[in-house]
Amino acid sequence: MTLLDPGMDLTLRPMRYPAFFDRFKDAIKNTWTVEEVDLHSDLADLAKLSPAERHLVSRLVAFFATGDTIVANNLVLNLYQHVNSPEGRLYLSRQLFEEAVHVQFYLNLLDTYVPDERERHDAFAAVENIPSIARKAEFCFKWIDSIFSLRELRTREDRRAFLLNLICFAACIEGLFFYGAFAYVYFLRSRGLLHGLASGTNWVFRDESMHMAFAFDVVETVRREEPDLFDDELTAAVTEMLAEAVECEVGFAEDLLEQGISGLSLSDMRAYLEHVADRRLATLGLPPVYGSRNPFAFMELQDVQELSNFFERRVSAYQVGVTGTVSFDDDF
Amino acid sequence: MTVTQEKTVPEQRRHVMQVRKRNGDLEPVDVNKIVKAVERWVGDLDEVDPLRVATRTITGLYDGATTAELDKLSIQTAAELTGEEPQYSRLAARLLAAYVDKEVRGQGVATFSQSIRYAHQLGLIGDETAAFVARNARKLDDAVDLRNDQKFEYFGLRTVADRYLLKHPETRLVVETPQYWLLRVACGLSTNPGEAIGFYRLMSSLAYLPSSPTLFNSGTRHTQMSSCFLVDSPRDELDSIYERYHQVAKLSKFSGGIGISWSRIRGRGALIRGTNGRSNGIVPFLRTLDAGVAAVNQGGRRKGAACVYLEPWHPDVEEFLELRDNTGEESRRTHNLNLANWIPDEFMRRVEADGDWSLIDPSDAPELPDLHGEAFDEAYRAAEKKAVKTVKARDLYARMMRTLAQTGNGWMTFKDRSNALSNQVGAPGNTIHLSNLCTEILEVNSDDETAVCNLGSVNLAAHVTADGIDWDKLRATVRTAVVFLDRVIDINYYPSAQAAASNPRWRPVGLGLMGLQDVFFARRLAFDSDEARELSTRIQEEILLTALETSAGLAAEFGAHPAFAETRAAGGALHPDLWGATPTQTDRWASLRQRVAEHGLRNSLLVAIAPTATIASIAGCYECIEPQVSNLFKRETMSGEFLQINTYLVRELKVRGLWTAETRERIKRAEGSVQDIASLPAQVREVFRTAWELPQRALIDLAAARAPYVDQSQSLNLFLSAPTIGKLSSMYLYAWKSGLKTTYYLRSRPATRIQQATVAIVAPDAVACSLENPESCEACQ
Repeated sequence: MTLLDPGMDLTLRPMRYPAFFDRFKDAIKNTWTVEEVDLHSDLADLAKLSPAERHLVSRLVAFFATGDTIVANNLVLNLYQHVNSPEGRLYLSRQLFEEAVHVQFYLNLLDTYVPDERERHDAFAAVENIPSIARKAEFCFKWIDSIFSLRELRTREDRRAFLLNLICFAACIEGLFFYGAFAYVYFLRSRGLLHGLASGTNWVFRDESMHMAFAFDVVETVRREEPDLFDDELTAAVTEMLAEAVECEVGFAEDLLEQGISGLSLSDMRAYLEHVADRRLATLGLPPVYGSRNPFAFMELQDVQELSNFFERRVSAYQVGVTGTVSFDDDF
Repeated sequence: MTVTQEKTVPEQRRHVMQVRKRNGDLEPVDVNKIVKAVERWVGDLDEVDPLRVATRTITGLYDGATTAELDKLSIQTAAELTGEEPQYSRLAARLLAAYVDKEVRGQGVATFSQSIRYAHQLGLIGDETAAFVARNARKLDDAVDLRNDQKFEYFGLRTVADRYLLKHPETRLVVETPQYWLLRVACGLSTNPGEAIGFYRLMSSLAYLPSSPTLFNSGTRHTQMSSCFLVDSPRDELDSIYERYHQVAKLSKFSGGIGISWSRIRGRGALIRGTNGRSNGIVPFLRTLDAGVAAVNQGGRRKGAACVYLEPWHPDVEEFLELRDNTGEESRRTHNLNLANWIPDEFMRRVEADGDWSLIDPSDAPELPDLHGEAFDEAYRAAEKKAVKTVKARDLYARMMRTLAQTGNGWMTFKDRSNALSNQVGAPGNTIHLSNLCTEILEVNSDDETAVCNLGSVNLAAHVTADGIDWDKLRATVRTAVVFLDRVIDINYYPSAQAAASNPRWRPVGLGLMGLQDVFFARRLAFDSDEARELSTRIQEEILLTALETSAGLAAEFGAHPAFAETRAAGGALHPDLWGATPTQTDRWASLRQRVAEHGLRNSLLVAIAPTATIASIAGCYECIEPQVSNLFKRETMSGEFLQINTYLVRELKVRGLWTAETRERIKRAEGSVQDIASLPAQVREVFRTAWELPQRALIDLAAARAPYVDQSQSLNLFLSAPTIGKLSSMYLYAWKSGLKTTYYLRSRPATRIQQATVAIVAPDAVACSLENPESCEACQ
């Protein structure tokens, strides 16, 4: 039996994919709740923003309002159905919970940042009304719909379609759209702005990193089990899909940055997105398309250990679910 | 904010990028002009390339940006190159200093005395300091040494500029330069210009810095300069509880950190005679405290902060340990309070012996919080027959360990040791009831005395030369520091009557240190080596000895502190004696004893090692006694994010021709560790281990070795990447057995991390078995 064979496997012993189970356990240690993030401290910053920055934040909030819900929908409608491993489904259940927390976090963000009821409604309507956001949403819907009618992955074509959906959500949506959004948040953070948003985003980012890693685990598992699915045709489709995602996200950047933000030029943003896209290709074992370097030093900062002054911020470095019993001769 | 719906038309894109000058005119961006502006500040920085800063600045710019935006962006751009070459941090600091200077001069301020006059008119500077500066304007103006701006690293100066320099109340422009600020702090504590200039020079050289409240408030209209307040538990009645809320709010408003005990308040289910109802326990009251602390904003500089201490026999101790959990009922959580356990030895003994532990309601045994040592043991055993509940001591201990692992909070502090080894506990009735927000202050208090401590720290990095420690300089620094710490006590504004009642009587101060790791790097000592431990102990002996000598000198001049008769020093016992330690400088100790016998001491306590988070950043050194957390990390503060790189390591790598893009990437990938860089000799790698790679036993051993020369205590953090109950329970038992009075945070790391965005991807790995991490892999089972 392979991972994509149709069915609802229930067998956890022997466990076929223990790495999925490990991811499930690791994810639990990273549990966080929306109440831990203090967004009210951001209100003073919002008042200080320039019109150009305010426009950027407003667009971001509108994107966040619906982004994670879309991902959750695809998880339920497509991924859970076809990843036929109970331990894999355990992880996906956990991921679903995390997406729900993210949705709640961004809802809380919206309610805090946008006091006006009408404007809150507008933010949710952005997915239809604001062209740069609508375009990204259409891209997502297209790929959700691409396999929505598939109840079982019988043929080679079915499985290839499933892989494209999976790769789309991991590499393009979580791996590129969200990474684009994170860059704006961390840019503001590096300027000392919107710490509340950034600390919540740190946690979201940590979760999303796991989601991507799990999805790529699934891809690699399928590659091992059914290597012939991975042919030139798939490569071409993935590359084309990613190129389309980059263009969607660059369009979003043009909108966000249209009034000019010092330190965040459109050309740098494009280079960053291309760099991220190349990384997704590399993870899939595919050659780079763009050859762009990361221009943002503030993103490099995300790659090193954080040290917070506890007077100022909650430290996001602790784990839950610590185990063991009292002993006096453990090594430390 | 609002959600923008309308689509604004983008400005016409021009071929040549333009900037808007301060007078409103547009001019083309000229790379040469930026290069020139940067070059002016290069000076001795031979590794920086102004053209690189200029071109990268232009790439990040947008058409029509203002020149002010251009200036700010060039500072930021220079700072962002720090990861490749640490000298860029210096360059960015100089560009920032120039920017700040321009801002101050733009308001018509050209000298120090003018800045004081201006800030006085704005209502920021106190009358006395304004008059002092006006009287001595020429001398003070001449003392300003602008060259010392060059001593700052970017992160330090950014912190100073954003949070320490006084700002115009309306425009929010800074009204003093970094050097004016330090001179202002000195003037606020001085009685004559010579003294002020001497103190200014010491601070300006970054060899010593007082703690943040002094740096914020000295010379201003609100001279609250103390860092720490230790508030006794409210009495077990409503009025007292609400009085404490009020007191905490007042203390918090002026930058103080609060420690407050809650051990006297009856637990859940205890009878309330007045209403014949049952108590809801301590949690609802702590929720109110939590909200109160969060509501107080310390002048926009930081939020209020408090730590609650509870003794482990309190019936609500289990709920107390859950106050910071991130799951469970929100109405029983306090996200802003820090938590500490105030632990009697009897508890640890029962943990060791696997015995039972009785939870006793304070309304049944109100004497317990005031007892320690054998008197406590007896009273506790007697009260056990009234126990509300009995638990296994080890179960409660395990619960404490879990809280530490999951939140870093629930600090382990030891009541009996703290009392037995305190100079202040020399007369019956004097009890230390808790420590403070950072677990380095141990002072007696009571219902009507709130203990106060003002702090400062010697920067050891500024006292180490190629030949070792500059002992003469260290002594001189300590002498000046103690005089000015003592001075704060008289000038200080006390936000509560209880604080004003305590401090003049005991006159405690807390002289600490920072940059111990710098010393070890400079001397190429491994943190866990015998030499390191010995050196750290000798430094500590020198600091305590010199501080006591200075205090005895002040006593000869101004008299002993009023409560001197109640101290152990009055009976002839100094702190090393309480420990049974054998000091090395026997002659100096002997003559010190004579002077103390003759004049007493001006200060009941002198040394406390505080965490120094912010002032170490300003001074550009490692925090207090801590090992480095990483060779490469970022700091997150209210000012933004800052890359910090170990410059000692960079120097070492450069000498070996190893400071390359490849090495940098490897260090980043290894999360700041150099243990995998095989081309570095093992001995060097040993020196550059991080806190996560050091045996924690060594940190405890170092702390215990210097403890005889720390008459209060130390903010000792411990580090475990992946804590387990077994490791933690072993570690804290060892800390207790080593005789430490207190410990501080347990630092740990997240279970998984954000995927690195800028290090190269390693090609897909086909092996399913994770041999590197067999514990979490079931494939082999």
